Amino acid sequence: MMIQTTGLSKSFNGLEVLRSIDLQVAPKEIVVLLGPSGSGKSTLLRCLNGLEELDGGSLEVNGVQVDAAMPARKKQANFREIRRHTGMVFQQFNLYPHKTALGNVIESLLTVKKMKKEEAAAIGERLLNRVGLLAKKDEYPSRLSGGQQQRVAIARALAMEPAIMLFDEPTSALDPELVGEVLEVMRQLAKEGMTMVIVTHEMKFARQVANRIVFMDGGVIVEEQSPEIFFQNPESERARKFIRQLQEH
Amino acid sequence: MNLLWENVPFLLKGAYYTLLVTVVSMFFGLIIGLVVAIARLKGNKPIRWLARAYVSIIRGTPLLVQIFIVYYGLVDYGVTLGPLTAAYVALSINVGAYLSETFRGAIQSIAKGQTEAAYATGMTPWQTMRRIILPQAARIAIAPMGNTFIGMLKETALVSAITVTELLRSAQLLIAQYYVYMPFFLGIAAMYWVMSTVFSFILERIEKRLSRVY
Repeated sequence: MMIQTTGLSKSFNGLEVLRSIDLQVAPKEIVVLLGPSGSGKSTLLRCLNGLEELDGGSLEVNGVQVDAAMPARKKQANFREIRRHTGMVFQQFNLYPHKTALGNVIESLLTVKKMKKEEAAAIGERLLNRVGLLAKKDEYPSRLSGGQQQRVAIARALAMEPAIMLFDEPTSALDPELVGEVLEVMRQLAKEGMTMVIVTHEMKFARQVANRIVFMDGGVIVEEQSPEIFFQNPESERARKFIRQLQEH
Repeated sequence: MNLLWENVPFLLKGAYYTLLVTVVSMFFGLIIGLVVAIARLKGNKPIRWLARAYVSIIRGTPLLVQIFIVYYGLVDYGVTLGPLTAAYVALSINVGAYLSETFRGAIQSIAKGQTEAAYATGMTPWQTMRRIILPQAARIAIAPMGNTFIGMLKETALVSAITVTELLRSAQLLIAQYYVYMPFFLGIAAMYWVMSTVFSFILERIEKRLSRVY
C-alpha cells in the first residue's frame, strides 16, 4: 500500500473531526475524497503529510510510519521524510510571492536536495513546460492568473519527484473559466500513473478520473465505492442524500 | 558665524562619531532584534518569557538610564567599558528591543500557507524561515526599520552624557571654549538634519526598489 491509515483520529478544541479513519490507497490509484463541508476530508488529507498533527492512530505513507504515540521529535522527522516524497497542492496555491515561477518550482531542489542551480533550473524548466508555462518562467506569481498560479504550484510539487500527490480543493479558489486548465494537468498526471488523493467539488472530474470514491461525513468514512456506482446508486443513505443535493443545483 | 566656520572640521569629527555609533548600534541591534523576534515566536516557554521581559524592560525605561547603567553601573561589578564601547552596548540593546517588535509583527503577517507550502516540499522550519518567511518579512519591516534608524541617529546625542565626543558633545566643548551658544547649537542642528534627510532619501530608494521586485 502507498498509504495506509489505522484508527486515525483528530480533534480541534475537543471537537472530533476525524474518528478512527482506516484508509488505504494502492500505488497508482486515484482516490477522490467527497463529502459535505466539515466532513473532515481536508483534515484527513492534511494529516497524511503531517500538516495537521494526529491525535490518535497511525499511518504509513510510502513506507514511512508515524504513530500518534511517537515522541514529537520522531514524528516530525518521519513526517519530513514523508513530505520529501509527497507533493501537495493547496486551494490558495500558496506560491512564494518573492520568487519567480521558476524560482518557486526549484526552491526545494536547492534547499532540500541541495542541487546545483543549473541542474535545478533544467528540471524546473522541464516541469514548467509540462504544465504549459515555460514562457512564464521569469514572471512573479502576482502577474499570473489563478489557473496559471495553480499550475506552477503543481509543477513545484512535482519537482521533488513525489510518489504521491495530495490535492486540497485545487480548483475551489479559481474563476470558473480557469478550472479546466488545472483539471487538464491533473488528468495528465493521472494518465502517467501518479498516485493521487484529491479533495474536490468537481463531480464530473471525480467521476471520470477517480478509481475510487471515499465518501466522508461527520469525521468517518461512510462509503467507499467505484465512481460509477457511487454517482448512480450509492449504498448508504447519507451518500444518496449528498448526491440528491448535488443534482438539485 | 565665523566661529562656526572655523570649527567645522572639529564638528565634522563629532558627526563622524554620531554616524559610527548609529551604524554600529543599528547593526548589532538588527541581529539582536532578529534573534529576539524568533525567540518570542518559536522558543519554548522560558525563552519566550525571557524575550518578553527583555523587550518590556528596555521599552519601559529611559535610554539615558540604560546608558548610565552600562557605563557607570557595571563598574560596581568590575566591568569597566570605555565610553564608546558602552555607547555601542547600550544603544544596541535598546534598539534591538524595538526592532524585535517590528520583526515579530512582520513575520507574523506572512500567511500561514507560506509555511505550509514550504513544509509540504520537505523544507525544515529553519530553511522555511530563512528562505521563505524572512525575505517577505524584510520587505514589510523595511519602512519601520528606517524610522528606527533615523530615530537612532538623533538619540545618539544622549551618549554625550558619558563623554563620547559625538556631535552634541563637540558643540558643548566649543561652547565652553568660546562662551557662545547659538551658532554651535544651530550648526549641529543643521548637521543632524542633513544626515537624517540623506538617510531618509536612501531608505526611500531601498523601499522603492524592494517593492518593485514583486
